[in-house]
Amino acid sequence: MPDATPPLLRLDAVGKDYAKVDARGGRVRLVWDLLRGRAAARVFRALDGVSFDLRRGESLGIIGENGAGKSTLLKVIAGVIEPTRGRVAVGGRVGALLELGSGFHPDYTGLANIELAAALLGLAPAEIAAKRDAIIAFADIGDHINDPIKHYSSGMIVRLGFAVATTLTPDVLITDEVLAVGDESFQKKCVAWMEGYLASGGTLLLCSHSMYHVQKLCRSALWLKDGRVERYGAAADVTQAYLAFHEEKSAGAKQPMPAASAAAAGVYAIQQLDLSPGDTIAQGDEFRVAGDVYSPDGRAPVVLVGIVRADGTPVYGVATDMDGVAPQRIADDRYVFALTLPRLELLPGKYFVRVHALDPEGVRLFDHVERPLVVTGETREMGLVRLAHRWNDGAPTPCGDGDPR
Amino acid sequence: MADLTQNRVVPAARAGGVTGTARDRVLLANFFKRELTTRYLGSSTGLAWALLHPLLLLAVYHFVFTTIFRAGSFGGKSFLLFVAVALWPWLAAQEALQRATVSLAHYAGLIRKVAFPPELVVYASIAATLVLQFAGYLAVLAVLAAFGEPVRFEGLLIAVPLWLILTIALTGLALLFAALQVFIRDVEHVLMPVLMILMYLTPILYPLTLVPESVRPWVAANPFGWLVERLRDALLDGKLAPQWGDAVALGVALALFLGGLWVFRRLSPHFEDFL
Repeated sequence: MPDATPPLLRLDAVGKDYAKVDARGGRVRLVWDLLRGRAAARVFRALDGVSFDLRRGESLGIIGENGAGKSTLLKVIAGVIEPTRGRVAVGGRVGALLELGSGFHPDYTGLANIELAAALLGLAPAEIAAKRDAIIAFADIGDHINDPIKHYSSGMIVRLGFAVATTLTPDVLITDEVLAVGDESFQKKCVAWMEGYLASGGTLLLCSHSMYHVQKLCRSALWLKDGRVERYGAAADVTQAYLAFHEEKSAGAKQPMPAASAAAAGVYAIQQLDLSPGDTIAQGDEFRVAGDVYSPDGRAPVVLVGIVRADGTPVYGVATDMDGVAPQRIADDRYVFALTLPRLELLPGKYFVRVHALDPEGVRLFDHVERPLVVTGETREMGLVRLAHRWNDGAPTPCGDGDPR
Repeated sequence: MADLTQNRVVPAARAGGVTGTARDRVLLANFFKRELTTRYLGSSTGLAWALLHPLLLLAVYHFVFTTIFRAGSFGGKSFLLFVAVALWPWLAAQEALQRATVSLAHYAGLIRKVAFPPELVVYASIAATLVLQFAGYLAVLAVLAAFGEPVRFEGLLIAVPLWLILTIALTGLALLFAALQVFIRDVEHVLMPVLMILMYLTPILYPLTLVPESVRPWVAANPFGWLVERLRDALLDGKLAPQWGDAVALGVALALFLGGLWVFRRLSPHFEDFL
C-alpha cells in the first residue's frame, strides 16, 4: 500500500544462516571458505524470508517459541549481524536492549558504561554529559553506579540498560524480554514509559513471551516459527492464534484418534468422548462421561476415567476393571462405556477429564484423551472436593456460604 | 544524527542507527581510554609492571651478556644502550600483538549485541600498548643519557617515524591474528613461542656483524632486524638521512595493514556467532 511517509524500518525477505561446525578442523575449513568469499558448507537457517514494514509511531510485538529466531531477528534489525539474504533498511537511530546487560562491558562501572552506551549510539561527549544525570536518576540504583557491572544483580543491570536505552531517545526502540527481569514496580515504570514513548510518536519493537505486554503495548504482532513468519497482523489476532496453537500443542495427542489411524496403528483408541451436561457443570450436579473405544483385536478394552485439577493434581480416577465391569460391545471392533457420577462434589474451578484406553489386561496404556471441565458454584470452602461432613454431631447448622443449595 | 528523511539501506555489520566516522572516533577514544585505565592504570601494579618488565629484562640481559658471557664489542657502544634501543620496540611489539589477539574476546558481550566496527577494539588495544611503551622508551633513553650514555636524541627524527611504521605493520598483523583467534583458539597459544623464537633470531641482543656470513642474509632479511638496525643507526650514531629502505618498509607496513584489514572484514560478520 502506498503511504506518504516512508517506513522507518523495512525488512525485505530477510534470511540469516549460521555456519555449523563441529570439529576443530571444521573451523579452519570455515575460515578458509569465508576468506574465499564462499558460504559455509553446512548451515543452520535461523531466519528465512522475513518481511515487514514499521512506520514511525507504530509498535510491533515479536512473539514465538524459544529458538524461533526472535533474537536473531532483533540482532539483524539492530545491525549486529548482517542478513545472509534480503535487505534491511533503517531510517533512524536504533536503540536496542538485546537481552540482559547487552551493550555493557562487565568490567566497566555503571557510569563508564553509560558513556560507552552513549558513544555506541553516536552521541558526542558533550551530549553524553548532559544526559548522564537523567540516566542515573531513571536507573535509580544509588551508589552502585560506581561499581563494575559484573557485581550488579540482574535487576540492576536491566534498570541501567532501560535507563540508557530510553533516555537516549532512539527513533526505534528494540527490547528483548527486558520486562521479564525487573521487579513489579520497575516493570510498571517501564510499561508506563513505553506507553508515553508510543503516545509521543516513538516506534517500538517489543520481543516478549508475555502476551499481556504485547497486547497492551503493540498494535501489530509478528509470530515467528522456525525462522519464518507464521502470522503477521493485528496484535490481538496474532497473539490469540499463538495461544491457540500452544493450547493445541499441549493438548497434542489428547484429541480422539480417527478410527483409520487407530486401526492402522493397531491400538485401543478412544474414538468419541462426551461429557454431560457439558464442559461446564454446576457443583453437585450429575456428571456423565461416555464414549466409544476402538479395539484392534475385538477384545473388550479397559477404560480408565480420571479427573485432575488444571495444574495436573490428580483428584480421582477409576477404571472399568477395578469395579469388575467391561465396556459394552456394539460392533466387532467397537465398545461403548458410560460412567455416571451422581453428585460431582468438586469445588468450583478448572479441571480436566482424562480418559485412557488400556488393553484388556489393564496393563498397557494405549490412548489418552483430555477435556477441560469447569465446575461452577459459589463457596468459600477450600481444597478440591467437598467431603461429606457434619459439625457438632448433627446439631442443625445455620445456612451459610458453605452450602449453595 | 543520521538523515532521518532518507531511507538508508544499511549494508553490513555496521548497521544500526547513526554510523560513520564521527561516532567511530568517539567510540575509539572511549575504548582507548578504558584500555589504558583498566589494563594499566586500573590495577595499582599494572603501570609499574608494564615499565618494570622491560627494565628487568634489560638488567638480566646486561648481567648475562657482559658479566657471564663477557661479550665484547657492540659496534663500540655500551651493551646497555645497544640492547635498550632495540629490545624496547621488540617487547612493545610482542605485547601489542599478544594483547590485541585476544582483545575481541574481552569485548565479546558488546560485539555480540551492539552494532559497531569491531576493528575499533583492536585499534584501541594496539594504541594503548604502543603509546605506553613508547613513553617508556623515551623514559629509558632519558635515564641512560642521564647516566652518561651517548644517546643521540636527534635520532628521534628517524626513530619516531620508524615507530609509526611499526605501528602500522603491527596493526595489520593484530587484525589478522585477532580475527583468526575468534575461530581458531590456538592462535594465541602459537603466537607466544613463535615470538620468543623470533626474538632470538633477530639481531636484538647481538649485532648483525656477529652472525656467520653463511646465514647472515637470512637474518638480515628479517624486517624487524632492519628496523632495529635503523634505530641503532639513528639513536646511537645519529645517522639521519632517509633511505630508500624506509619507503619500502612503509610500503610493506601498509600492505600488512590492508591485508590484515581485508581478512578482518571478511571474517568479522561471523564474529557474533563464534565469540
